[in-house]
Amino acid sequence: MSHDTITRREFFRRAAALGVAAYGLAEGGWLLLGEEGALAAARPTIVVASKREPAALVRAAVDGLGGMKRFVKPGAVVLVKPNMAWARKPEQAATTNPQVVAEVVRLCRAAGAREVRVMDNPVDRPGSLIATMSGIAAAAEAAGAKVTVASSPAMFQRKALKHSKVLKSAEVLRDLLRADVFINLPIVKVHGSTGVTLGCKNLMGTVSDRGAWHNSASLDQCIADYAAQMRPHLVIVDAVRILTTNGPKGPGRTKDLGLVAAGTDGLALDAYGASLLGRKAQDIGHLRLAHEMGVGEIDLKRVTIKHV
Amino acid sequence: MSSRLRSGRAWRRLSQVAFLLAFLLLFAFASFRTAARLPVDLFLRADPLIALSAMLSLREVMLPLVWYALPVLVLSVLLGRIFCGWICPMGTAIDLAERLFGVRGRRPAQASPWWRVKHYVLIALLVTALLPAALRSQSDPGLSQTVGLSAVYLVDPIAILTRTMTLAGFPAVEAGLVFSREVVTGWQYSDLVVRHAWLAQALHNVGMGLGLVTRPDPLPATFRLGLVAFLMFALIIALGRFARRFWCRNLCPLGALLGVLGKASPLRLRVSEACTRCLRCVNECKMGAITDDPRKYHGPECIVCYGCVAVCPEGAISLTASRQQTGRDDRLGLARRRVLEAVGVGIAAVVLPKVDWTARRSQSGERVLKISSERLVRPPGALAEDSFVTACVRCGECMKVCPTNTLQPALGEGGLEAIGTPVIVGRIGPCLDQCTACGHACPTSAIAPFTVAEKKHLYMGTANVDRSKCIAWAEDKQCVVCDEACSYDAIYQDNSGPVGRPMVDAHICVGCGQCEWVCPVEPKGAIYVYSSGDRRHLSRAAQKAIRAGAAERQAARAEAETRQDGATESPYPGL
Repeated sequence: MSHDTITRREFFRRAAALGVAAYGLAEGGWLLLGEEGALAAARPTIVVASKREPAALVRAAVDGLGGMKRFVKPGAVVLVKPNMAWARKPEQAATTNPQVVAEVVRLCRAAGAREVRVMDNPVDRPGSLIATMSGIAAAAEAAGAKVTVASSPAMFQRKALKHSKVLKSAEVLRDLLRADVFINLPIVKVHGSTGVTLGCKNLMGTVSDRGAWHNSASLDQCIADYAAQMRPHLVIVDAVRILTTNGPKGPGRTKDLGLVAAGTDGLALDAYGASLLGRKAQDIGHLRLAHEMGVGEIDLKRVTIKHV
Repeated sequence: MSSRLRSGRAWRRLSQVAFLLAFLLLFAFASFRTAARLPVDLFLRADPLIALSAMLSLREVMLPLVWYALPVLVLSVLLGRIFCGWICPMGTAIDLAERLFGVRGRRPAQASPWWRVKHYVLIALLVTALLPAALRSQSDPGLSQTVGLSAVYLVDPIAILTRTMTLAGFPAVEAGLVFSREVVTGWQYSDLVVRHAWLAQALHNVGMGLGLVTRPDPLPATFRLGLVAFLMFALIIALGRFARRFWCRNLCPLGALLGVLGKASPLRLRVSEACTRCLRCVNECKMGAITDDPRKYHGPECIVCYGCVAVCPEGAISLTASRQQTGRDDRLGLARRRVLEAVGVGIAAVVLPKVDWTARRSQSGERVLKISSERLVRPPGALAEDSFVTACVRCGECMKVCPTNTLQPALGEGGLEAIGTPVIVGRIGPCLDQCTACGHACPTSAIAPFTVAEKKHLYMGTANVDRSKCIAWAEDKQCVVCDEACSYDAIYQDNSGPVGRPMVDAHICVGCGQCEWVCPVEPKGAIYVYSSGDRRHLSRAAQKAIRAGAAERQAARAEAETRQDGATESPYPGL
């Protein structure tokens, strides 16, 4: 009985070929489809819930997508990123509605999540005041989440961003990089610098070196670069009450819409959110750039909007 | 145990520990959450010397100070310097240091003449407060009035101790807690020690329980001058090398004041015939009040510590209320020429800081404004500058309760006489629009209490955009983080360029430093608060009127923004 043989040289040749092929597939695949390629290629669907209490809005919107179990498997660690950036009260609509955050936490727990972490790296200080004042700490903790205001440099980790045009790396929340499921939970607001602040802009709260973004050649491109890399598994947009002037912190005028929208294409949701502010996503720099990078759809005509 | 507790010394020690704990707990719990509900500055308010100096120098009767100080005054009239022996946290700290570090003084066999120094300090202090040091700034020009200079912060034990705790002690403890949290946070991310997460939780809970940690924030509080404050305290402790309670017996003006008040106290040391003249009581006396003959002692120096009673091997000494004449000597024996010297020092203390090359005074119309530095930005509600410097006791209580650490002791911003008074340093943190803690915490109302609503028109300064540094103005970069972060909507955008560029409405900007704090330009920031917009010389009503005048302008801008955004119509109007 003879042994199957392979020369050392042949082995190395094959290994190298395999490596090149795998890398080519991975890179090429990304270029063609993006990281969530298969989803992005299809016509995205977003679910808009209305005419309910905030918690019921969240339930209806998520159910419209097939329920939280679709996203959160038993034992998963979930990171929820609301907008918890400002020392403002919930009624001022500068931070995500605490009832919305709490309901998302409850749904995750009900789906079997081992741990739900609600985190943000706010602009205002102190974080303790923001967590308390926004009502998010109390509501989310009661729902079974761990609410943390990111602060110390130890909580961030430098991550290289591939495929980006301007932003080559960022100091990203370690908890985000380690989470099994990432849920983005923006509130709809106008923004003095970037026009609107929605899901893509909300991601900025997961990094610590934001000054570099402002100092870069283009803040809009940095937001798009980061959005291209950090794709939430689920985006839930809080439009229960939106801020229409003097955003993002206010105090400004607010408008009660009583809506919550959910989906997996963050950009489509941002486009929808922008429309609530009377803005076209094509006119918003960072949304247009993100779309050009294949992050998602910004033309609402190509988005299926399911009203529930 | 029972026999020990029957001794006055045991009760005294118990009282010392209890009051020290109360002092520390009140201090630990002093935060922006508790300032409105807890009397976090209780010890400072109860200090009659602070009350006296503040009222003399400000020329007004401040009833809240009087009520708080009354118990100590009554106690002193009845029982002499019992405050020093039983209550004063500084005295307790000195006693503790002696026990812990063995800083036990050599006992001079003969009474040192130094003990009178504290009376001269007190005299100098009162002279300083009484002299007209400055004109009180008034909104009504007809009411020009002088104020004195309160130097009590330099010599009052409670002010010194609180300041040391705020500037040096608390940051050290907090830094330790943050450090341990960092260590633990690091562990959480290492797979090996995930199981020790309970420890992180436990540490966190301890920190929360002590009121030192709430949720993690970026940095522990740090203060400029922390080392200076610590050294001052360390010097007081170290003087114990020369004599027990060196500070209390020789230097403390509060002790001097209470001693004088207690001259009529009926408390008497009595030595029975059993005395063998072993002189243990003389050696034991912390204050050097008993000199060579146990039958004679110096009344105003006795702090009722029961040390002599406890050490007497014959049980010959008792401390009781009595009208009988004993060997108690209540004379101060101050030398007239030394009193004159003290008056001279008091005058010099007023004059010298005025010879201040960093300060500039502008007197235009009714305004009497001292301009020392463009960075002299005072907390909201602060009195006009001259009154503020007079009333502030530099205790640091406001800095302790400040949630963002923006309140820092002044270096040279306010001139020599204002060193250690609170200033807002925007680059360290913003003054939060929702916070009123410092107004509640200030024991002398140098920062007069204010409400959240009033903060909109308590003008501390004005933000200035440095257009040559601002990345939006100078480099066409998309930023305006300052506009985002402004709590008062005082910053708006100039849209004539390729990107929005920040502009400041000086009648809406109160100088809170929020913009300075968030500006991404390093190191100083391209927007910072100058004291030029400081309107403390005006009444609150006058400031409110200025703010009201800007409301229309602000509303017009909001209107324009709404039109620009077209936010009135959404494609889903029915929802």
